[in-house]
Amino acid sequence: MRYGIYIVPAAIVLTLGSLACKPPKTAEEIKAETQAAFNEGVQAFKDGKARATNPYVTAKDAKEIPHKIQGWNDGWDKAAADKAAADKAAADAKTAADAKAAADKLAAEKAAAEEAARKAAEAEKAAAFRKAAEAALKTIHFDYDKSEIKESDRAILQGIADFMKAFPAAKLEIEGHCDERGTNEYNLALGNKRAAAALAYLKTLGVDEARFTTISYGKEKPLCTEAKEACWGQNRRGEFKLK
Amino acid sequence: MPHFFFRTILCALMVTGLWAQQTEVVLTATSSAKLVLAMTSPKVTGLDEATIAQEFTAVLKRDLDETGVIAMLQERLPADSAPAKAWKEVGAQWLLSIRLTKGANGDLQMEASALDTAAEKSVFTRTYNANKIVPLRYLAHYLADDLVGRLTGEKGVASSRIVFVRQTSPGVKEIFQVDRDGAGLIQLTRHGSLTLSPTVASDGRLAYVTYKGGAPEIWGQHRKDGPHERFYPTGGSGGMLSSPVWSPDGKRLAFVQGDRRGNSDIMTLDLASGRARRLTDGNGINTEPTWNPNGNQLAFTSDREGGPQVYLMQEDGSNLRRLTGEGLYNASPTWSPNGAMVAYVSRFEGKFDLFIYKLGEGKAYQITTGVSTSESPAWSPDERRLVFTSNRFGSSQLFTTDLSGRQIVRLTELSSCQSPRWIRGR
Repeated sequence: MRYGIYIVPAAIVLTLGSLACKPPKTAEEIKAETQAAFNEGVQAFKDGKARATNPYVTAKDAKEIPHKIQGWNDGWDKAAADKAAADKAAADAKTAADAKAAADKLAAEKAAAEEAARKAAEAEKAAAFRKAAEAALKTIHFDYDKSEIKESDRAILQGIADFMKAFPAAKLEIEGHCDERGTNEYNLALGNKRAAAALAYLKTLGVDEARFTTISYGKEKPLCTEAKEACWGQNRRGEFKLK
Repeated sequence: MPHFFFRTILCALMVTGLWAQQTEVVLTATSSAKLVLAMTSPKVTGLDEATIAQEFTAVLKRDLDETGVIAMLQERLPADSAPAKAWKEVGAQWLLSIRLTKGANGDLQMEASALDTAAEKSVFTRTYNANKIVPLRYLAHYLADDLVGRLTGEKGVASSRIVFVRQTSPGVKEIFQVDRDGAGLIQLTRHGSLTLSPTVASDGRLAYVTYKGGAPEIWGQHRKDGPHERFYPTGGSGGMLSSPVWSPDGKRLAFVQGDRRGNSDIMTLDLASGRARRLTDGNGINTEPTWNPNGNQLAFTSDREGGPQVYLMQEDGSNLRRLTGEGLYNASPTWSPNGAMVAYVSRFEGKFDLFIYKLGEGKAYQITTGVSTSESPAWSPDERRLVFTSNRFGSSQLFTTDLSGRQIVRLTELSSCQSPRWIRGR
């Protein structure tokens, strides 16, 4: 039993010693632990934790696990760097997109302005055309059973010729009309003669006759229907209609 | 009719006074030449008496009265059963008896007979069978036409029709047809545009001018009851087109084409080949062609010597000669169905009147007189009357007149009518 006094403490010492003195780690284990710590660092950054929260720095065995501390920090730093790069790329992309949108908008605005200007110019031109047509295309009149152009209507025909020269794309239909006296058929022929007289006169004023068509309505489309000269005189007419 | 003109000339020689006096004498002469006809009440089976009186007897009496050759005896009539002698004594030369029977299936049978009261011999017997859809008034028309045929050798015109143009709204005119007695109005075209100048071939085919495409075109029927198709121009624009008129054989159309220099010419269009031919020489206005019944001459209006006058020419354009002499505005010629007369209008003091030029005599006779205007004459198929337009009761309505100008009858109460043509109905 005498030796028992020594055996028990020795056993204790041996046991504790064996517990305290772990065997040294292999390079693979250190690499794996470093990787695990790195991943934890990445996750910690993603979870929004600060770099100072590195759990290995405050661990009891901090001195023995510098690789973990380093791994964790590296992970955190890498994640932070990745995020910064991604944020920057996104910011750059957004800046580029914004710039493009701004440029596009500017171009569209310019095009719209140009279109509006063109339309306005067209409308103005059309309005000017309409106004000129309205001013120029006046009705001429004829004497009973006659198709000669009256002296008093020459200014009207000159105005029509000027209009045709000012608007080279304009085309006209010349309508010949008659009063109610006379047969339907004879008046159709007379209306044709009146339209032809106006056409011939416009030709002498230098307008290409191909820009005119002629049509006779005889006495079929009177402006008024009373049997008196004031009315007949209105009906014996040549009208000029845009085609 | 020759008697009428002979007497007219005699009167003109003797009474060199007012035209009105001449027409008085003519009226007396023509009315005394009429056959006096009396009629017993129709014997009716299966039909309502009141319907017969209204839709048959009244129509027949009016038809016969308007024939110009028959005078209806209306007063102091003997009893229906009285002997022929009694009818003769009251002045009836013919006594007409009619039996009308409506069969079980609704079909009608009409037996008509006429007795010469002097000779006491039958002068007319005919039985008519009519499908139930034939109106009673048509049976009256057929009988009147056959009685006139028996009397004069040429069928009457009670069943005839008038084709004409009427304005349906401002700027829109369409072609219509109406029975000679003003009944049975039918619209023949629905183009919704100016549609003018109807002409009807002897077989009933219609042709006319329409502005439905903007510029005028000639449209018509290639066969009876066929669709309305464009005849001319076949392509492009034809310029001013008007006045189509069927040739008597129905194979050609005379028409008018105007050019851009203001001339208008008489043309013919051969329907089979589609070939058009110009007959006049591009000298001013030439329009309103009308064929003679042989189809070898045309009368037309031309302003080649100043104002409008009526001219004649052969159907190839040769042998041109002026027909009308007096007056500054003579137009609208229309050749009579038998070829001896040309009716036309002449303007005097701002209004138009109807005239007839008798080719055999080389003389013109005035038909209408008065303060109103009378235009667009067209002959009845039997040559006894003219249909025309007049404003005597307001805006241009249709009337008919006998050739004395005394018996003027308003055809319809439709306003805004023009260009009537008179055609046989059967």
